[in-house]
Amino acid sequence: MEMRSGSPAPAPTVPPGSGTDGHRIVVRDLSSGYHGTRVLRSVSFTIEEPAIYVVLGANGAGKTTLFRTLAGILPAYSGSIEIDGETTREGGSGRHLQYLSHIDGFPDGFTVEEALRFYATVQGASEPDVARVVRLLDLGELRGRFFSELSQGQRKRASIARIFLQERGIYLLDEPTSNLDPKLAREIRDLVLGLSRHDVILYSSHNLFEAKEIGKYVLALKNGQVEYFGLLSDLRPKKYVVGIRATGAEGILAALTKKGDYYLQELAGPEEVPKFLNELVARGVQIREIKEMENPMEDLFT
Amino acid sequence: MRIGWRYLAIGIAISVLLSSELLFLGKSRGALFAPTFPLELPIFAVLGSIGGLMTFTSDRTKGVFEYLLAYGVRPGNLFRNGLIATVAMSGIILGTALAIGLGLAEPRGVPLPESFWEALAYYTLPMSFGAALVTSTVGMIWASLSSPRAGLNSPVGIAPMIGTGPTILILLAAETAPTADYYYITGGASAALIVLAVVLLALSSRLMGRERFLSNI
Repeated sequence: MEMRSGSPAPAPTVPPGSGTDGHRIVVRDLSSGYHGTRVLRSVSFTIEEPAIYVVLGANGAGKTTLFRTLAGILPAYSGSIEIDGETTREGGSGRHLQYLSHIDGFPDGFTVEEALRFYATVQGASEPDVARVVRLLDLGELRGRFFSELSQGQRKRASIARIFLQERGIYLLDEPTSNLDPKLAREIRDLVLGLSRHDVILYSSHNLFEAKEIGKYVLALKNGQVEYFGLLSDLRPKKYVVGIRATGAEGILAALTKKGDYYLQELAGPEEVPKFLNELVARGVQIREIKEMENPMEDLFT
Repeated sequence: MRIGWRYLAIGIAISVLLSSELLFLGKSRGALFAPTFPLELPIFAVLGSIGGLMTFTSDRTKGVFEYLLAYGVRPGNLFRNGLIATVAMSGIILGTALAIGLGLAEPRGVPLPESFWEALAYYTLPMSFGAALVTSTVGMIWASLSSPRAGLNSPVGIAPMIGTGPTILILLAAETAPTADYYYITGGASAALIVLAVVLLALSSRLMGRERFLSNI
């Protein structure tokens, strides 16, 4: 797999694509953390194209710390962050971005609607904005209920509503679909995909299939440093393994490793797939399905 | 700014019960009201003001502060709002308890000498706000310094003792000490607590960095 260092220089840059809306994040040699302990070390990257940037990394790699620092929640120990032309070291970047934490952040004793009104006031949004996000996230039945009465999925839905109160152009979403059922997770992904047409989305997830589905770029962190930053499509797995569901020619299939319903075969790359399939068909194997078994992003966690 | 109305109600209820006890029960039949009532009021005020600390701790744990910081709210404002809630609740309880106590004492003809009003001015008022502020400040710093180990990251369990401990000790000391020492004990204690509150407030800006407002979850 090709790795591109993100630090300290030259900073990896995603060039502006067609339809860029002018939103820009430039992170230079950034170090940040908690109580003096550095979690992020010399992180540098530049984002200029509206798209979904999947932020990947094992637990403790620094994903949440990066989001918190970009959002101005944590101060930078060194380096700088430039968001839409404004350089920040601390004090919040609320004017430029929307932030979704992995914690719900709803105050005790508030109904969903009261909490949304509260956050609307803080953000400078209006009453019609609250009504709009209630409709957008289908919160009509929950608006009068206390947050403590909601299920995990309902809480997440109410929490996500907050980021749609005001358009900001840059969205930092820390595991937005965790604890959601597949249907709602799909709806949230569709909303985020809609935003990504003109906005910059940094999207952290442990779900690699989700990341592969929606991400255009990958920003992978390892031990607080940028391990890879670039197009998801440029990632290549260390091993290229295909799985086939097939019947017939038992002797030939028996020679392959089986994983669940799939017979596995390691190949040099996708270019070998047609040849491999032709050989199997010529030997009487009836192929019902073929798929890539490795997700190149998995290698970023090792 | 939000305040814990439940704690406010508890503080007011306790103050009403104890005022009634001083006025209507026991052999004293109101004789203890004037010397004791000003000394008891700070205890009610501290108990009732715990709601401010509760709200701060809850908002921090639930990640509310994380969002507010992201929207550009300054950490100092979050800390200050916690203190304002505390002072507001102390004030409401003091005002209510005084109104009820005096309202009950007046029709019963309980004498209210000049020393009663003096004690209210130089002990009850400063001690109530000072003890409530110390409780709240220590609690907020404690909450943000402590690790997420179960039971240690909630200061609410010990917070009432921080504030009520000195006020109860002073109540006992003032009632058992010679009359001549009454003013030294009460005046000295309220001055000491105000100084402590100011010192803690001055230190708080150094101790409460941005990461202190984030949930441990």
